[in-house]
Amino acid sequence: MEHEMTQVEARSALDAIERGRRRVIDEIDMPRWYWWGLALGWIALGYITDLDHPWVTSAATLAFGAIHASVAPRVIDGRHRTDQLSVRRDMAGRHLPRLVIGALLALALVTIAGALAANADGAGHPVTIASVLVAVMIVLGGPQLVAAYRRRAAA
Amino acid sequence: MSEARFDELIHPSTRLSIVSLLAAADWVEFAFVRDQLGLSDSALSKQLSTLEEAGYVAIERQLSERRRRVRARLTPVGRTAFEGHVAALREILEGSVPSLP
Repeated sequence: MEHEMTQVEARSALDAIERGRRRVIDEIDMPRWYWWGLALGWIALGYITDLDHPWVTSAATLAFGAIHASVAPRVIDGRHRTDQLSVRRDMAGRHLPRLVIGALLALALVTIAGALAANADGAGHPVTIASVLVAVMIVLGGPQLVAAYRRRAAA
Repeated sequence: MSEARFDELIHPSTRLSIVSLLAAADWVEFAFVRDQLGLSDSALSKQLSTLEEAGYVAIERQLSERRRRVRARLTPVGRTAFEGHVAALREILEGSVPSLP
């Protein structure tokens, strides 16, 4: 009986440990302001591109990249959604930054394809139109992407 | 892989829950642990003090934006003890699996 109790306690204790791990994994996320900032920057870049001044577009693209490169390392690993805790790297995994950057590269291609399609259709501001669509995808899909990653980390 | 070692200090349910949270994080705010586990300030302080005295937990007190922030983190000694405790619990469970004929 005593042995049986110990096994039951062991299972219960391991369950409590797992709950603790999941509570911390639930905190893996990126701040909302990151997605909104990215989306607004995307639209701004699209609008500037439509102005058709190559030098301005190049400078804006470089500025956008520089700002993103300075901000992203602090949030893109998903370990610091709030200032309440820092998730351990081995809990958060190493793939979230790659996943986000990969998604952004894919969205850049979607923007180009969308702009070409809008231009072929005779739209007045094709890149802006494509950028707005992609910005909506960023705001709605970004948190979903991280949530899917979080579920995988918890499994 | 840590050596299996049942740890009497960690095992009580409240302390085990606290250490489980800390083990998955680099550091955790006092308020986060309190809210997640539904503890009072005094109950959590008492448990953290016990863990700190054992060298399992380090407490950092900071004054930021006129707010006092208290962070707790598991020390290397605490992490080794926790991993050993988890290994011991798993061994107990494995012992419960009946051998196949």
